Amino acid sequence: MDLIERLQVNWYRLGAALVLCGLPLDVFAAVEKETGLDMPRDVSLDGHRITWLINITMVFLMILFVLMIIWMAIAMFKHDESHPAHYDHGDAGKQIAVAMSISAVIFLVVDGNLYINSMVDLDEVFWNFKDVENNPDTVRIEVNAHQWAWDARYVGPDGEWNTADDAITLNDLRVPVNKPVLINLTSTDVIHALNLPNFRVKTDAVPGRVAPIHFQAVETGEFDIACAEHCGAFHYKMKGKLTVLTQEEFDAWLAEVSHQSALAYNPDDADAHWGWPWKEM
Amino acid sequence: MSVPENAYDQLQAIHHPPTTFISKYIWSGDHKIIAKQFLWGGLIFLLLGGLQAMLIRWQWSAPGQPVPVLGQIFFSDSGGVITPGHYTSLFTSHGLIMIFWAITPMMIGAFGNLTIPIMIGARDMAFPTLNTLSFWTWALSGVMVLTSFMVPYGTAAAGWTTYPPLSGNAGTPGWGQSIFVLAIFTTGSATIMGAINYTTTVIRLRAPGMTWGRLPLTVWGQFLTAVLNILFVPVLAGGAALLLLDRWFGTSFYVAGALAGEGAGDPILFQHLFWIFGHPEVYILILPAWGFVGDFVSFFSRKPAYWYKGSVWAMTIVTIMSAVVYGHHMYTTGMAPLLGKSFMLLTLIISVPAEVLFLNWLHTIYHGSMRKTVPMMFALGTIFVFGSGGLTGLPLATISTDLYLHATMFVVGHFHLTMASAAFLGTFGAIYFWFPKMFGCLMNDRLARLHFWFSFIGLNGVFIGQMISGYAGQPRRLYDPFQYAFTEQLLGINQITSYFAFFLAVGQIFFVINWFQHVFKKNPTCEQNPWQVGTLEWSVPNPLPVYNFAKIPIVTCGPHEYSNPECIENLGKDWQGQWENLDGSEPVLPTLPASHSHGHHAAEEDVSDAKTDESVGEE
Repeated sequence: MDLIERLQVNWYRLGAALVLCGLPLDVFAAVEKETGLDMPRDVSLDGHRITWLINITMVFLMILFVLMIIWMAIAMFKHDESHPAHYDHGDAGKQIAVAMSISAVIFLVVDGNLYINSMVDLDEVFWNFKDVENNPDTVRIEVNAHQWAWDARYVGPDGEWNTADDAITLNDLRVPVNKPVLINLTSTDVIHALNLPNFRVKTDAVPGRVAPIHFQAVETGEFDIACAEHCGAFHYKMKGKLTVLTQEEFDAWLAEVSHQSALAYNPDDADAHWGWPWKEM
Repeated sequence: MSVPENAYDQLQAIHHPPTTFISKYIWSGDHKIIAKQFLWGGLIFLLLGGLQAMLIRWQWSAPGQPVPVLGQIFFSDSGGVITPGHYTSLFTSHGLIMIFWAITPMMIGAFGNLTIPIMIGARDMAFPTLNTLSFWTWALSGVMVLTSFMVPYGTAAAGWTTYPPLSGNAGTPGWGQSIFVLAIFTTGSATIMGAINYTTTVIRLRAPGMTWGRLPLTVWGQFLTAVLNILFVPVLAGGAALLLLDRWFGTSFYVAGALAGEGAGDPILFQHLFWIFGHPEVYILILPAWGFVGDFVSFFSRKPAYWYKGSVWAMTIVTIMSAVVYGHHMYTTGMAPLLGKSFMLLTLIISVPAEVLFLNWLHTIYHGSMRKTVPMMFALGTIFVFGSGGLTGLPLATISTDLYLHATMFVVGHFHLTMASAAFLGTFGAIYFWFPKMFGCLMNDRLARLHFWFSFIGLNGVFIGQMISGYAGQPRRLYDPFQYAFTEQLLGINQITSYFAFFLAVGQIFFVINWFQHVFKKNPTCEQNPWQVGTLEWSVPNPLPVYNFAKIPIVTCGPHEYSNPECIENLGKDWQGQWENLDGSEPVLPTLPASHSHGHHAAEEDVSDAKTDESVGEE
């Protein structure tokens, strides 16, 4: 195949790829903006657990804080200079018992609620990687962070990681809706952190280590990927896009990108071979 | 066994007052002068760190717009605009300067030095020369910090946490980062010198009768802080030394990935070393403030501190536990689940002693007779900001909630309310309270109250604002935080937050005026005990003589004896000095049974040492 022929094929394929998936989305469905001071829209299967736990804890904290302010206000305005002070060291057995009981109740209700729910959520979802790994529907992605971009790799038809037919993208993660997504995350240079606020999760990308992160989208659309670890002067520009597609759109897109990546594959370009054999946790 | 009458006075000789300018103000061993040196140094760096905070706030409310006035001075090469490079240096050095060169010297260097000897009835620190060395080592590290701004590529820029590999040569090239890390190492040495001095002084030089159960809470706070400093600053120094080896000699303790040659290290190793120091550090910066607050609420409610022993135990347990909670800074590093969950449980448990402490403060002011003096307002302000900051630590302590909140502005607001705002208000409360002891007069009340309200409203506005934007998802440390679709709408709340920050900055002018009106007063006048409190330092004149106590006092009671009916009846006042007997008689040295209590024991050893060494006293 001479050069001209290759280029022609490439142009044709590229045009098809743009029409098929990339272009329409880019034109019609930009990342949706948020309004107000609430958390970003939750589009994940399990993010509501985190949202609920943060919000219920905030309610508890507000109550405690208001009680503290009322208590202080009474002391400031009622127990002022005109009020005789009680000579009281507060070290009688009964007083200590009261203080310890109040502390115990606060601890058991507020901290206890946080602890139990967090443990359950971690075991059932956020640190439960076994169920995701064993799910045949799981989509696996390798993400390699570097200053200041996100490289992503999907395994190609040969089922082997780090080979010519892997689908490779830059700052562009696409996942199917209602399917678990499992990411193997690392970094080439400094520490970064993959932050998906619409999915309520983040994990550090540490050079020399592969860390897992998983989520499941319940809506199609486009969402921001942010970096959550200071990684240099252009940390704020380390922005990617996560697109949630229907299964059909995703399959077509993946096949096309895999094909394009295979065509562009250059065995001598060592930098492009940053993948690794998939790591189960 | 009875103790010779003048044994304690002979053990701590009275210094000759220094005669030359240098021996009085520069190379002085006098803890009071060293306290003033640390206070001046800390205030200068506080101004610098505060200025940097304002520049960061400007950037977040008007990203990429030229900074008015200051921009032409600091960023003339970019037309007054803060560039991304400037910005990373700004937030990095703001954090480090505030922690190591502003709060630490003011709260520990100045008030540890000032209060420990005069509150325990000692004539100076145990090791005056080490004290001098501690200050000048700190001053040297301060010069290094200032130098780092002037070298090519600028100062440190890897964040105050200095995580490698970003803080390595490839991530942050140039001498600025190296000099700053070396400065941390150097100031760490100064801190250790100070901490050894503080602990030794508290253990060995307490006046007769000053048992552990009669120590003012201020001294407890400083003592426990010093213990933490001795234990954990060396870990930081070790971590910093390895980082310097990586930077200068090409080792790879912390380097992995593409930057590593043969024999890769592990960036997470640094995080463990950093946070096993870094979490105790937040207690290092708050324990002294807890001490001030514990004392002030009792002094100005005219009521004994509620469950004093409970407060002491709570502070001690926090001190011990602070070493085993640090992992909560690293939940997102992919740590082993069992380790993460253990840190989560321990972190939640450490909230219990904090609750006990809070309840004790609140019980102390309840049914008191509150005098709303300036130090009391600052103490109440400290309780308020530490309350909101401490409570919001809970959703950061648990792992699942932290997956969302980690590295957002919520964290920034939370820790600024606890270790910045509470430390700020606590320290300024201490300045207003002990000003007569240092400079011989009281500061202007009206200016001080203006300073309080501007600071209090400003601090709360800024950091509650940051928590709101963090709850909405704004990541920290972004040059332009409004790059993302989920943060774009947060410009408004960031601008409001910045207005509060500028309001806070304006309020500091009242302090500066007040300060310069009073520190250089030629013949300061102030009654000996303007606050009518009973701790030992108020039994001697203002400002203090070089030797503090002409005669070492004999301690008769705890530090919080207020509104005792017997005292009111016998002495005609509502407070009992720790140097007074309730019946008005002259205190006598306590007789010491062989094993009475730890405190008595130490005193007994002192005396027997003195007898063999110098043969003082009478049989």
